[in-house]
Amino acid sequence: MSITLAAAPETGGGSLRRLLRAEEWQLALPLGLAFVALFVAPLLLLVGTSLFDDDKITQPGFGSWAKFFGDPFNYKVVADTLLLGVKTVCTTVLIGYPLALVYLDLPTRLQKVLIFIIVLPLLLSVVVRTFAWIVVLGREGMINQLLQSLGVISEPLRLLQTELGLVISLTQIEMPLMLLPLISVMSRLDPNLRDASAALGASRWRTLFTVIVPLSMPGLVAGCLLVFASSTTAFISQTVIGGVRLIYLPLLIWQQSLVVYNWPLAAVASLSLVVSVLSVIAALSWLGRRSSGHLHG
Amino acid sequence: MTMQSFNRRSLLAGASALGGASLMPRGAFAKGSLVATTYPGSWEEAYRAIVVPALKKKEDIDLELAPLFAMDQIGKAKASRGAPPFDVFILDPGPRIVGIEGGIFEKFDGKKLSNAAKLPAGFIDDSGICVGAQVVGIAYNPKKLPAPKGWKDLLVEPYVSRLGLTGFQTTFGTASLIELSKQFGGSLTNVDPAFVELKKVLPKIAAVGLPAAMPGLFQQGQCDVMYTNTQTVATLKGKGIDIEFVKPESGAVAFYTTMHIAKGTTETANAYKYLDLVVSKEMQEAMTKSPYNFIPVNKDVVLPPDLPMKSLDEMSKYVVQDWAQINPLRAAWIEKFNKEMAK
Repeated sequence: MSITLAAAPETGGGSLRRLLRAEEWQLALPLGLAFVALFVAPLLLLVGTSLFDDDKITQPGFGSWAKFFGDPFNYKVVADTLLLGVKTVCTTVLIGYPLALVYLDLPTRLQKVLIFIIVLPLLLSVVVRTFAWIVVLGREGMINQLLQSLGVISEPLRLLQTELGLVISLTQIEMPLMLLPLISVMSRLDPNLRDASAALGASRWRTLFTVIVPLSMPGLVAGCLLVFASSTTAFISQTVIGGVRLIYLPLLIWQQSLVVYNWPLAAVASLSLVVSVLSVIAALSWLGRRSSGHLHG
Repeated sequence: MTMQSFNRRSLLAGASALGGASLMPRGAFAKGSLVATTYPGSWEEAYRAIVVPALKKKEDIDLELAPLFAMDQIGKAKASRGAPPFDVFILDPGPRIVGIEGGIFEKFDGKKLSNAAKLPAGFIDDSGICVGAQVVGIAYNPKKLPAPKGWKDLLVEPYVSRLGLTGFQTTFGTASLIELSKQFGGSLTNVDPAFVELKKVLPKIAAVGLPAAMPGLFQQGQCDVMYTNTQTVATLKGKGIDIEFVKPESGAVAFYTTMHIAKGTTETANAYKYLDLVVSKEMQEAMTKSPYNFIPVNKDVVLPPDLPMKSLDEMSKYVVQDWAQINPLRAAWIEKFNKEMAK
């Protein structure tokens, strides 16, 4: 095996290279096939399942669609789900962006430490991270105990099972997804640009908003996409920290598919989630392309 | 400059190590393996501690436990269409009926069990075998609250502002909400009075969560009173948590727990060996002990004094609900719970 491989460049190297160039798309074949088999086919199955009226999947029709979209409650659920994603994106940007700026100015050794700290949460299971937040946010949790011992509050605050608590914990849980693309783009920025901007008399703020932010836009948009998609579908965090009074689409899908067994309705809810999240993502990436086109064009 | 930690080589090495691990033969030296479901929490702990090693020792079978609530098991089995993700189910009465209707159980033959005669009459049928009973009532933290007397207490102070609520996803949740409804004029098939009363006090209720989250919320002091089964109370108590079980004045709810062999399994013989062991005197006796406190089905087991039920003959003193009537209504109840409880 290794002999043929080693010999290849000498004998048929040229033709091999030509072959590769001509048929480069074939390299994408394994992934493409996997994509069709594991993603497109199930999605079609989902669409097919949604086109049945009854939970036994025997009566074809649009009954499940009519049922789902005939209920104003479900509109609220879809809106709440998207809004949760927007809120999480906003907080991760507000906290993550300054952190990325700090990262740029750190010496390399400290940068490595920071990267490790950022990646650390990803090494823990989401279940563990979520339960840790119960310990922090709970009635007898760290925050309440601290505030009570400082005399700031007399009765424990209700943080768990509120949207505020959920957004706080999702911000921490999703933060790596914002920071990693952001940092990888920002660290490629030419440091001379900042000096040039300063030399031309721009204040630090002006440099930030007219040079750094526009140039980091691709990373920012990628981070927003990831955080949005991940937080709108974070079933465990949503249900464990948010409780079941805050109803988002993943909870609805879980109930319909695994508790009530109404798969057509679950399929409709799933497709609503896919479509609504994808349309926000499409809008975001359009924004991202526009801004980078603006930069280079 | 920065992200050397993510170079291709180390990523590839990590990924292939992970991938390689999953290719390792599973239980290559054991005679057989079996995947059985169990309920998360006390059942899982008891079965892991007692039954798994015993089955390995006696029959050389590797038992893999999949912790899932009853309804989830049915959902997964239905989703897998003929290739069951597990070989043996553990179910409550409601999901059992759904399972029988859906034809997802292998026809059960009690004659294949050496311990069949040790069980009361009627505990083995065509669909499966009864392995225990569960008692559902109220659990509270005695350090923080006086003992509640009945279901109605849950909706008044001091209990309501410490109440942890769960919906109709589980048997214990459904059973409790039905009992609560009965206190306000409802019935087995009418839970509307419970919704009306819950809605009045909703802002005060400490937590509304998924069933699996409740023990954690209780442990963290997020709620100090909830409805649950005796095994959960026993397990939490075993972990040093302040918790006591109360039989409500109107009676605690009791129901049988049954096990079934999945249709299409290739491990039928091992499944029978497992079930035979589960109802054996040694296993049943070990599981009656603290902290598990299971109610045994084997007639030879001598009952310890601290069980909620002294023997299964006492089932008649408990509230037993007819799940054939409950099942058709549950989907609508779950939807209603979403809407009524939503913020």
